[in-house]
Amino acid sequence: MAYGVTQQMIDTFGEIVFKLSLNKQTRRGDAVRELDFDALDAARDETGLTDEEITERIGLLPEQVGVVRVFTERKHHKIDQHRRIYHLGGGKRWKKEAYRSPAERLRFNEEAMMLREAINFKPELAARYIEDGYWINETLNGWLADHAQNTPDAIAILHPGGEVTYAELKSRVDHLTNGLLSLGLMKSDVVAVQLPNTLDFVVSYLAITAFGGVMQTIHMPYRDADIEFLLGHAQARTVICLPAFKDFPTAEVMLSMKEKLSALEHVITVGDMEIEGTLMLESLMIEGTPEIDNPPVGSDPFLLLYTSGTTSNPKGVPLTYQNMMSNARVSVAEFKMTSVDRNLSAAPFSHLYGLFNFHVALNAGATNVLLPAFTPPDLAKMVEATKATTVFLGPAHATAMINAGLMDAHDFSSVRFSVFSGAACPPQMMETYRDKIPGTRISQLWGMTETAGATYCRYDDAADIPVRSAGRASPGDEVRVVSPEDGKPLPANTEGDLQVRGCSVFPGYLNNEEANADAFTEDGWFRTGDLAIIDDDGNMTITGRTKDVINRGGVKFNPADIEDLIIQHPKVEMAAIVPVPDPALGEKACCVVTLLGEESVTLEELCTLLDEHKIAKNKWPERLEIIDEMPLTPTRKVIKGRLMDKL
Amino acid sequence: MAEKFDPEEVKQACEGYVKKKGALAFGLANLETLERISPPGCGPSSMLPKVKSVLCVGVGGGTRGAWSADAKTLAYIGDTETMAYRIAYGLAFYLEAKFGYRSIFVPPDMDPEKGARVPMQSMKLHAEVAGIGARSMAGDILLHPEYGMMYYASVFTEMELPPDEPMPDNPCPHSSCVKLYRQSGQTPCMRFCPVECLSGSIGNDDKVAEMNYDAHACAEMSQQYEAIPGVLLDTLDAKDPIERGMALHGPENQVIWYKLAIGAGELLALCYECMRVCPITQTAPLSNPIARGAGMRQKIVEAEAAAKAEHTVEQAAEKGE
Repeated sequence: MAYGVTQQMIDTFGEIVFKLSLNKQTRRGDAVRELDFDALDAARDETGLTDEEITERIGLLPEQVGVVRVFTERKHHKIDQHRRIYHLGGGKRWKKEAYRSPAERLRFNEEAMMLREAINFKPELAARYIEDGYWINETLNGWLADHAQNTPDAIAILHPGGEVTYAELKSRVDHLTNGLLSLGLMKSDVVAVQLPNTLDFVVSYLAITAFGGVMQTIHMPYRDADIEFLLGHAQARTVICLPAFKDFPTAEVMLSMKEKLSALEHVITVGDMEIEGTLMLESLMIEGTPEIDNPPVGSDPFLLLYTSGTTSNPKGVPLTYQNMMSNARVSVAEFKMTSVDRNLSAAPFSHLYGLFNFHVALNAGATNVLLPAFTPPDLAKMVEATKATTVFLGPAHATAMINAGLMDAHDFSSVRFSVFSGAACPPQMMETYRDKIPGTRISQLWGMTETAGATYCRYDDAADIPVRSAGRASPGDEVRVVSPEDGKPLPANTEGDLQVRGCSVFPGYLNNEEANADAFTEDGWFRTGDLAIIDDDGNMTITGRTKDVINRGGVKFNPADIEDLIIQHPKVEMAAIVPVPDPALGEKACCVVTLLGEESVTLEELCTLLDEHKIAKNKWPERLEIIDEMPLTPTRKVIKGRLMDKL
Repeated sequence: MAEKFDPEEVKQACEGYVKKKGALAFGLANLETLERISPPGCGPSSMLPKVKSVLCVGVGGGTRGAWSADAKTLAYIGDTETMAYRIAYGLAFYLEAKFGYRSIFVPPDMDPEKGARVPMQSMKLHAEVAGIGARSMAGDILLHPEYGMMYYASVFTEMELPPDEPMPDNPCPHSSCVKLYRQSGQTPCMRFCPVECLSGSIGNDDKVAEMNYDAHACAEMSQQYEAIPGVLLDTLDAKDPIERGMALHGPENQVIWYKLAIGAGELLALCYECMRVCPITQTAPLSNPIARGAGMRQKIVEAEAAAKAEHTVEQAAEKGE
């Protein structure tokens, strides 16, 4: 180092040089004005010395003093102190306790930054969504605050325990937000939630997102292995759950996860059962308006959902406010939802579909009716009791109610709009459902965790459209069908690979480069993996899954139609057709079924059925496997990947 | 060779010149005192070897509006030191042109050889010895009972002129500050400093007993030139492009490059909070130019004369005259 200065010299003399220099000054009395030279001389060290004077005091060269002083000053120097000035004057006085530097106020955990790095949109598309007004600076809690201020007494939530106004909901959310902040949670930290559709879920969701946190949902049927994977992958810091669910000791399992997962710090349980090692949600209700240093903004991620994993491990799908809020906001007008509506979701809030319709109703300032767990009678009773006006359900929910005669036994006349999603909707069921509620209009909605509500039938669509299709793209979204061979867009009414692009489409999978490489085209279209047909008016109908396509000696076919026919066989409960390797043809079709009763079924019987329905012979399965239980996702989709592994 | 002039007349002429140009206060510092007090190499003769006199001018601070603005704005508009320099610059020429003595306008910057906070010359010391300001609790910022906080500039000349005396009394601490100190242990300037650079005590005689000033903390906030090498070193140490970019372009640093680009010597100026809450600065009767124009100066002169007369009568009464 220059002038013979060593690090040891800096370490040895730095602090005394710093102290003796003009960095620190002390004056006693008023010696200059009083011309008290003796006092001035006596106080030389205290009033601050030049480098030359320090040289005389401590025995270094003046140049060495300079270097030592500068390095020590740097050690002490903080570079952003001047930002305090922005908080002063104009009637404001300095309050130390009220000030936090931007660096401290806006800091993130490392895990949170990992999640934020997954938010990676194509700039030209982002610019378009902003210019077109789809992406704005809106948040879930912004909506809640608006309603709490403008319509404080309107009913926000109807649930088995009673009703909660918007003002009451805001207050509860504020209190839990205080509690979560008291745990040291910060913006973009992941808080996992495994709860049914209850008030606790809603309050937790809104409180997590109020301070900028990201909610990860865990489906209620998930158990140890699934939970460990999901919490670990998401780097969740906290989990909110039931003490136990049916025979599953949820809290106990979550506590065991704390031992395995370094990021997981807190387990919060709902209800009044005290469990050692967990925090009770109620104990985190701390009165007062939360002081949020780093409030959420429109571009922030706020949801981390996971795909159901029909072909592989679940993939993490981070979603931003701009993705989800824009999708819900534009859908309000399309569904003609208003603040007088009472919206009931039969779908669990752990799924995108459930959250989507919750968001739509929240944006409209409507009432969300909570159905904690679906059973056909409970859904029917809830509709009748609450006079729900809009219902979001799956075809299986409706089928179960129809088959059980519940739609005849209960009053559904309040329902003016019913939206179906989650699985293929048999036209006959849709017609029957509509016949049972003469006043209702129906809609089909298609979406994925990755796309939110990408297409749906509008409230005013002609009656036949929702029976045969999932409608047109949501405003701000585009859909197209492309050739599986060359990726070029196909003309209307031609089956091909469905692709989606738009404001509601996710930015990319969390920590999954391989999946991300396959997920998008160069120009930002998301490859859905679904097969579809789009008609001349833009109405889209799902026809199958790309990955389910069987390639039999170069002849490719979608087995979805075949599966639908086989399910109609009186001996068959569920059916799935998957490819199996064949040395001559490359692939052959194997039909895997579960049975309704004890009586078995043969391949010949199934092929006879197909023959009766004029199905081309080259689409008939050439192998049959009968299994006891079909591997299903929590949304009751067959996990074909697991079937193929078994075969 | 310069002509002979009456030093008192020259002094009056200089005072007339600077006040006409906008200065509020004028005085001459005792050269010997300055040389005695200044650190080696920092006295007037180190700069102008044949210096005989040190002339000091003080100009007023910000307007009332400036004091009520936010600190960010005040940092830009609160200081009027360039006006003081301009007047001193003119005074140096005036002395040379009118009286024929070599003179210089004293550079206001820090000494490039003597460390970060060592000035070439201490204008504060000049003004204090010249009797146009006294050291306050607020980091030795000078205050004047009539003009409040001023900015100072000095002129060295080879012409010998009669010096003035330091002010007989120090207006700091103000009686209200003493009261607050007795209640809370802090004066307003201590209490509201955003970097807590001030501390100290007031004695039983209601005068400043001890004043501690953390100039490093104050400069950290107000003089960003010291941040520049730190920013560059942070840039070199940064691990990734975002961190590196933020080190240079982060909002906490961007003003540095702006100020460098436009060549401003001062990178942020001061936060002024100690002066904003100082009752002397805020209520000094002549700190407001409007008040000066309204004849307040005359009123003060008259009030002072009345007080002096009253004092004389009291003293005479005490002596039984």
